[in-house]
Amino acid sequence: MKIEFSIIDSHALLGEEYHLTLDADELLRRMDTHGVETAIARPMGAELAVLNREGNDRVLQAHKRIRGLVSVNPWYGPKALDELKRCRDLGAVGLFLHPSRQGFMPTDDHVRPLLDFASQANWPIMFHTGSYVQSDILAVGEVARKYPRLNFIAGWGGFTDMWFELPGVFAEVPNLHLDASMMWGNAISQIVRDRGAERVLFGSAEPRNRYGVALECLERAELTKEQLRAVLRDNARRLFRLP
Amino acid sequence: MKIIDFHTHLQTHWFDKPMITEAEFLAGMDRFGIETACIFTLMGFYGNCPAENDKLAAYACKHPKRLIPFATVDAKLGKPAVEELERCLSNPLFRGVKFHNWLQAFAPSMARETIIEVLRCAARHNVPVLFHDGTPPYSTTFQIATMARWVPEATIVLGHGGLGDYVYAAGQLLRDLPNLYVCFCGPKAGDLIYLVEAAGEDKVLFGSDFGFSDWRLLGDFLANVTGSGLPERVLENILIHNARRLLHLDQRPL
Repeated sequence: MKIEFSIIDSHALLGEEYHLTLDADELLRRMDTHGVETAIARPMGAELAVLNREGNDRVLQAHKRIRGLVSVNPWYGPKALDELKRCRDLGAVGLFLHPSRQGFMPTDDHVRPLLDFASQANWPIMFHTGSYVQSDILAVGEVARKYPRLNFIAGWGGFTDMWFELPGVFAEVPNLHLDASMMWGNAISQIVRDRGAERVLFGSAEPRNRYGVALECLERAELTKEQLRAVLRDNARRLFRLP
Repeated sequence: MKIIDFHTHLQTHWFDKPMITEAEFLAGMDRFGIETACIFTLMGFYGNCPAENDKLAAYACKHPKRLIPFATVDAKLGKPAVEELERCLSNPLFRGVKFHNWLQAFAPSMARETIIEVLRCAARHNVPVLFHDGTPPYSTTFQIATMARWVPEATIVLGHGGLGDYVYAAGQLLRDLPNLYVCFCGPKAGDLIYLVEAAGEDKVLFGSDFGFSDWRLLGDFLANVTGSGLPERVLENILIHNARRLLHLDQRPL
């Protein structure tokens, strides 16, 4: 697939978690290999669940081509908000929440202050989706309905066994977007076809997935040039307010 | 490369939705160099297993070198399930057993006695038993691995390798249980490297779920393997040799 514009990866991971590890230098090397100009990266592992400041510093200080999708555990309450203010001042571009790792339901009351903060900061919010119970994509849909002016991103697109909820929730919740990083081509092309290319963001899920595999998958989805430009660059620019 | 796809579905429809045709299925295999595919039912997970098993056998009769049917039975039925499995495995076309506990609506512990008989039957016929895994409440990776302990002489295959949330646990279980194998079908390249490291390169097989969606799915899932950066020798084990061994193709050629 010949891409004649710079690609933005809307979902990479930095740090360590179980069998996965990735540092900034290696991410940059992989970005360069595949023509990715900018990556939006979030913390993982302990730095996602509990050591939020360390994880946020890791993604905020990684490199000028890596932008921080920061995270806080909602159970930290006011301290979580303080951390988000610090991250905003350091240039964060969005909020990532992982209900399963961080132990909450997206609809919990104590999550609302974080959503309100993201709203004030003009950040999109990416929720991990697809893991049963806490990371139910329909729960994220419920939250998105209550914040119609906020942009939400379904991280990993309900991978894997909530894939069958995608057509319905994307039809009903217009401010929900698909992170395509873990999805197969037909699921991506269905959302593009039915809901428009502006609803889908290219992501790599590096180091779990690979740039080469994710790009190949998009190639098989047979999108038009305009759709590809939206998915690979323009939608991320718009949602994350990138230059 | 003569790839074996250890996890596909060949069925005319799913609920009221038409699936790809037999011709499209074979063309998809050709497109990606798949020489042989293990074919499973879809609608047989919801009932009428004997008729659905017969449909799979009919496909294999038409393409005996390319399609290997895996039988499905309804473990909730008790003894008739074991009898149906015995009927299928007496037919040399069938080389394996497939369960999808989630869609078939039973936890292994709910049908423990039947499952044990089924696994013993499969072991007597020397065929692997592949289970969907990675999805609660009936198909967690732990629920599948537990059955490997119930019948150590049976060859149990995790149908997906933990999917989204159970990959790390899958690696631990594969390391601990000698009769547990994994069909890498769904997780991503970074997961494959770990599973090979944890389980050993002899216990990982390639699968695509092809047939549940069109040729693009086969391409996407194959890329999860080939895009991993694993050495050629390891890829050949995953894509060919491990499946040949579990299916006993050297001793029982198609």
